[in-house]
Amino acid sequence: MMTGKPETNGHAIEIRDLRVDYGDFVAVNDLSLTVPYGEVYGLVGPNGAGKTSTFRVLATLMEPTYGEVSLAGIDALEDKESARRIMGYMPDLAPVPSDLKVREFLDFYTHTYALGTRNECRSRAEECLEIVSLTDQRNSWCRELSRGQTQRLVLAKTLLPSPKVMILDEPASGLDPLSRRELRLSLQAIAHEGATVFVSSHILSELAEMCSSLCVMNQGQILASGTATEVRNQLGRAERQIAVTVLGPRDNIASWLASQHGVLEVTKSEQHDQRVILRFTGGDHEQAALLSGILEQGVAVKSFEEKSASFEDILVKIAEDNRRQEGSPHEN
Amino acid sequence: MKTDSALHHQAPFWAIWANPIVRRYARSRMRPRALGISLLITLMIAGFLFFVIRQIGIYQAELSIRDAHRMPIIPLLFFQGFILFVLGSGQTAAGMTAEADEGVIDYQRLTPMTPIAKVAGYLFGLPIREYATFLATMPFTLWAFWRGEVPLHIGLQLYGVFMIAGVLYHLTGLVAGTVLKNRRWAFLSSMGLVFALYTVVPQASKLGLVYFKYVTIEPVVREFLPYLVESRIGTAAQTIENLAPAAQFFNLNFPQSVFTAGTLLFLIGVMVVMLWRRWHRAESHLMGKAGATGLFAWIQLMLLGNALPLIWPLGGVFPSRGARLFQLPGDDWSPSAEETLVMSGIYGLVTLMILCLMTALITPDRTGQIRGWRRTRKLGRPRLSFQSDPATSFPWVFAMAAIGSGGWFWFTKKLVESVWFGTTDMPIAILPVFFLVTAVGGFGFHALLEGKGKRAAGLAVILIGIAPLLVGVTVGATGEALAPLALWISGCSPVAGPIYAVLTFLPLSNLPPDFERTIPRAFWFWQGVGLLWACNLAIKLRRGRIKIAESTL
Repeated sequence: MMTGKPETNGHAIEIRDLRVDYGDFVAVNDLSLTVPYGEVYGLVGPNGAGKTSTFRVLATLMEPTYGEVSLAGIDALEDKESARRIMGYMPDLAPVPSDLKVREFLDFYTHTYALGTRNECRSRAEECLEIVSLTDQRNSWCRELSRGQTQRLVLAKTLLPSPKVMILDEPASGLDPLSRRELRLSLQAIAHEGATVFVSSHILSELAEMCSSLCVMNQGQILASGTATEVRNQLGRAERQIAVTVLGPRDNIASWLASQHGVLEVTKSEQHDQRVILRFTGGDHEQAALLSGILEQGVAVKSFEEKSASFEDILVKIAEDNRRQEGSPHEN
Repeated sequence: MKTDSALHHQAPFWAIWANPIVRRYARSRMRPRALGISLLITLMIAGFLFFVIRQIGIYQAELSIRDAHRMPIIPLLFFQGFILFVLGSGQTAAGMTAEADEGVIDYQRLTPMTPIAKVAGYLFGLPIREYATFLATMPFTLWAFWRGEVPLHIGLQLYGVFMIAGVLYHLTGLVAGTVLKNRRWAFLSSMGLVFALYTVVPQASKLGLVYFKYVTIEPVVREFLPYLVESRIGTAAQTIENLAPAAQFFNLNFPQSVFTAGTLLFLIGVMVVMLWRRWHRAESHLMGKAGATGLFAWIQLMLLGNALPLIWPLGGVFPSRGARLFQLPGDDWSPSAEETLVMSGIYGLVTLMILCLMTALITPDRTGQIRGWRRTRKLGRPRLSFQSDPATSFPWVFAMAAIGSGGWFWFTKKLVESVWFGTTDMPIAILPVFFLVTAVGGFGFHALLEGKGKRAAGLAVILIGIAPLLVGVTVGATGEALAPLALWISGCSPVAGPIYAVLTFLPLSNLPPDFERTIPRAFWFWQGVGLLWACNLAIKLRRGRIKIAESTL
């Protein structure tokens, strides 16, 4: 892997005002983003958020409508050849040719990248196979590999030229939990060596585990960015879940809560027959006032607990909001 | 461990043997089992052709050893053409489509090989098994050349042009594979193209479009035929060849092999540019606007340059002359007015078809226009660059229509005013009519393509271009009384436009009364309808363009 220390000046990836259109559909809408050197940076969002379009532009495979993209200081739109020399890209559901064996596949790309003499190429291919734990499969046909093995093989291919910047589009899609874990370990090992890894997923918790920073994208725009906790706070703060457990029947308090300002929804817990769960949009003061109000109703409150939204909840909510907007075209 | 700075230099693009893509396909397509079967079948067929024809020559026809060995040369050439041209082009197209279909082509885009090295890699890598099987047949050809006492330089020239043609057809397959999404269609269309080149195109070349025969190896085979067949046939072939020994281009004479090789190499250059554009930038049109217009003008020039010198004194450009080739000028042969009209009509039709093809190559779709305008706005420019891909192709279609109608007029004028038709004059007033026909068809197609998209344009070709002809022919075949109706129906198709124009306006035209009445009326009616329709589409298109430009402000 990369032997040099991560550079400290500038950014490994810099995107400014990026826009991608497909006819009238805006896939990426004036996106700006920076990724520091040596990070594993995650890009998460529901299907159709614009992740793949962003990645394909970064990978120099697609011309954006406009915008600026630089990879390790190289203008990726103007100097594609130089950008390609320092970048590795792994597409979503990474394909492999059906007519080659694993070692032939890697051998081919060591030569297309002109990685040295035949022996040097061979040893580099072996190194990369080892990183992704596929050494035993070197003589297998690519078409005979499992989904997880295929993903890891393409990851090995991406690693061949020791790229400074790795762009991995949904590398964990279709993988079983064990393969995901192996992939995560591989990526962390790669980042430890100094490469910058930009990885996308629609599974937030998956990225939260492997990324030092991440951003959430929806409808072509960034909704939140930062560390996993920061993102959770930015997105989860607007709406929180509160579980109220009462002593006695819950029906009356449920209907009272439903009529209160800031309460979006009240559901009765299926696991606990004395608990109601609120979706609440108010701030801390409104939350305190709500508790006072419940008590004023003469209800014995056993517990009043704020639950932080899980990453998956946040993403599900974003996806649901998208669907709602699609369902009512007059809404902005 | 290696870093990016330690990347070795790539081999130059012409070092085919060192090209990683060629090596990749050498591996996957030359695996012993598959290659072995291909070689076995090829050797059996080539061996059978060689020995059975040679034996018949020696023992049945009682030819000399030399003549008997010359007899298998042409059949072997056909077989080699099938392997390299037909199968090779199909494999190239299908292989390229498969790369895109499987998605692995993206990996290749990202490698630091130059676009030209990538084109060369796929060009020589994808059909590598076909090259191997072709080479397997060569010992029989070499044996036949040696024992048949074929001069070395003849063999070298013949197979030199053969290989150049193979490369051109493979490039055509590569372009088809780059454009088409479905690998089966890519495979079939490439093979169909080569098949059409050797069946349909030679017929077109007999109708005045002589240039087209130079995209095949037929002129070279004809030139060298006296050396490739037994003596008696060779003598006859030599006599025919002596009548028109050179490829004529206006006042210049070239050896057939040189002119053919030049034509093929030029087209190879055009194809390489197309592919280079796509490898350099995946969204690019296959050709730039100026390039496509230049190519269109060049084709016109070549069509005229090859056809005009054949009008006089031999009259070789006329189809009826082919059947009476041995008669000398001044004998009782002269071309008929009908064949002249057909030749002019076909020229106009082919011009229109090439115009539409070029239009399809350079016309942007709506998405492309929107993206282009947004980019332009972002860069603070007032309008799209005239030659850029997202800009409208309208002025370029106009230029091509002008060039095409000019070429068509010149060709027809030379035919009509040739000595074969006495003092007949071609009035200049026909030029605007030819322009009208070319422009209405061209603009209609362009406006549909740019405004409504490829699907609408394709449907229009089927429903407006082809269907009326089929219906018209069917109605016409029902009875003579329905002939005027059939002419009206057929006239709806832009394909009929050039034919009707020629039949209506050329002084040579001598139609039966029914036709004389109907064809001009149908011509003017449908051209009028076409003109109004094209203008309407063009106005809508302009409005659409303005709307796009404003919406991106």
